[in-house]
Amino acid sequence: MKGFLQYIPGNSILHQLSPITKLALSVLLCACAFLSSSILYISFLLLLVLGLSAMSGIGRSALQIFSLLLKLSLILFLAQIFFIREGDVLVRLPLNLFITDEGLAFAILIALRLMLSALPLALIITVTPMSDLAGAMVQKLRIPYKYAFALTTAIRFIPIFSTEISEIIEAQRARGVNFDTKNIFKKIRLILPLCLPLLVSSIKKTEYIALSAEMRGFALRNRKSGYKSYAFKGRDLIALLAGVFIIAASLLINLP
Amino acid sequence: MIKFENFSFTYPDAPAPALKNINLEIQKGAFLGIIGPSGAGKSTLTYAINGAIPHYYQGVCQGQVMVDGIDVFDSTPETISLKVGSVFGDVESFFVASVVEEEILFGLENFNIPRSEIEGRITSALDAVGISELRYRSISSLSGGQKQKVAISAAIALRPQILLLDEPTSELDPQSSRQIFSLLRTLNKSNGMTIVVVEQKIMLLCEYVDRLTVINDGEIYSTGSVRDVLSTPSKLEKIGVNCPRVTTLSSKLAAAGLTNEPVALNLNEAESMVRRIIRDYIR
Ligand SMILES: Nc1ncnc2c1ncn2[C@@H]1O[C@H](COP(=O)(O)OP(=O)(O)OP(=O)(O)O)[C@@H](O)[C@H]1O
Ligand SMILES: [Mg+2]
Repeated sequence: MKGFLQYIPGNSILHQLSPITKLALSVLLCACAFLSSSILYISFLLLLVLGLSAMSGIGRSALQIFSLLLKLSLILFLAQIFFIREGDVLVRLPLNLFITDEGLAFAILIALRLMLSALPLALIITVTPMSDLAGAMVQKLRIPYKYAFALTTAIRFIPIFSTEISEIIEAQRARGVNFDTKNIFKKIRLILPLCLPLLVSSIKKTEYIALSAEMRGFALRNRKSGYKSYAFKGRDLIALLAGVFIIAASLLINLP
Repeated sequence: MIKFENFSFTYPDAPAPALKNINLEIQKGAFLGIIGPSGAGKSTLTYAINGAIPHYYQGVCQGQVMVDGIDVFDSTPETISLKVGSVFGDVESFFVASVVEEEILFGLENFNIPRSEIEGRITSALDAVGISELRYRSISSLSGGQKQKVAISAAIALRPQILLLDEPTSELDPQSSRQIFSLLRTLNKSNGMTIVVVEQKIMLLCEYVDRLTVINDGEIYSTGSVRDVLSTPSKLEKIGVNCPRVTTLSSKLAAAGLTNEPVALNLNEAESMVRRIIRDYIR
C-alpha cells in the first residue's frame, strides 16, 4: 500500500493539464457512468482511463486504486445480484435464491458505474500536487483558501494514514497478533481497536499542521496571494472537448 | 530583541512547570546557542518565542515575553510569524505540502512576496542549504536529513528577523551539520539575522555561536559568552552536559595549577596552551 493515493511527479499530459480541467473531466466521466447504461461503453471508458494512466507513468497506482475499487464493487455486485427477480433464471441456488440474466447485467452495470465514477477522481490525486489543486480552486472556482487547504490537507493525509496503519499492524504482528486471517469479520475485529490510537495521532498531526501554517502567516493570505497562475491552455480545451464528446456519445450509444 | 521577564510556564495537567522564572535577554543580531539535558525545557523556551505558547500550548503562564517590542501574549500568530521564522524539532509533522517547492512557496505566498521576487527566493533558499536538486521531489520520498534541510530552507526563504531552530541537525551527517551552521553564521553576520539555535552537539555549537545559554530543569543554569559558560566544565558535567574535550582538558590543566589562561575553545587554542605549558616547564 506504499504510495497509495499519493502524488507521483511527472511530465505527462495528465500532469500538465490544469487542475480544473482534470476536475471537470472526472466529473464528466462520473456523469457518463450514470447516464450510460451500456456495459460495453462503460468498460471501454474504464479501459481508456487505465490506458491513459499507464501512458502517464501512473499505471501502477491506477491498478492499485482499480483493484481496491474492484473489491468494493464486488460487495455491491453481490448485494444487487440476488434482488433482481425479473428475466430468465440462469442459476438456481438453495433458499429460494436465483440469479437471472437481467439481474446479472444490472449488477455488473452497478459495479462498473461505481468504478468509473470513483477512479478518475482518485487518479487526480496521483497526477496533481495538492497545492496546485488548492491554488486552482481558489483562483478559478473562487473557493476560499481556507476550505481548499482543508480539503487538500485531508487528501494528503490518506497516504500518511495508510503508512501509519501498516506500521501499527506491523507492531502488533511483532507482538504475535495474527492479521493474516481470511475471515473478514475476524479481521475487522482485529483492526477496529487500532482506530482509536490512529484517531488520536491524526488529530495531533492536524494540530501540528495548523500550528505550522499559522507560524508561516496562513492568516495573512488573501485570494491574490497565489503565485502560480492556472491559465487554460490549448491542451485543456482539447481535453474538455474530448470530455464533451465522451458524454455526448454516452447519450447516443445504446450498446448493451 | 527578545526578552523574557520572570517567565514561567506549566503545560496543562503537568505536575511541575516546564519553565521556571526565566529572565533572559537576547540582543538584536545575536547568535545564541541553547543547550541542556533532555527534558530541560529547551523546546518549550522556543515555543514561548514563536507564539506556540500561548496560541497552541495553552498552559499556565506567568511573566512576560517580548519579541521586537511586542508582547507575545497580546499579539496574533501572524504578527509574530512576520518576525520569527521557526524550524521545529520534529520537522516531519510540520510540513504543509507534499512537494518540496510547494513547501517553500507556501510561506512566500502567505507573506504576499512580490511575484518577481519569488523565483529568486526559492532558488536561493534551496541553494543555501544545498538541495537545489530536490526541488520537485515529493517530501515523503526524502530521507530524515533531507527533510530537515527542506524545513530550514522553507524558514530562511521568508528572511525573518529572528530565526529559531530546534535541533536542526539531529538527523544530519557531520558535514551537512557544519554546512547548516556555516549558513547560519552567514545569515547572522552578513544579514544581521538574530539566530537562536537549540543543539545537542556542543562541539559544533561552540564553534559557531557567540553566546550560550544552558537550561537545566526548567531554569537558566548559566548564560553568557561561550568561553564564560564553558569555563567550569565540571559544573556542566554535573547536569549532564558534556563539554568539548579540549575545554575539559584545558580546565583540568588550570585546576592542576599549570596555567591561568581562560579555557581553550578549539584545538588550536588547546595546542598553543599545551605548547606554552611545556615551554615554561622546560625553562
Ligand atoms: N505537550 C506537552 N505536554 C505536557 N508536558 C510536556 C509537553 N511537552 C513537553 N513537556 C514536558 O516539559 C518538560 C520540558 O520539555 P521540552 O520538550 O521543552 O524539553 P527539551 O529540553 O526540549 O528536551 P529534548 O532535548 O528531549 O528535546 C519535560 O518535562 C516534558 O516532559
Ligand atoms: Mg526538545
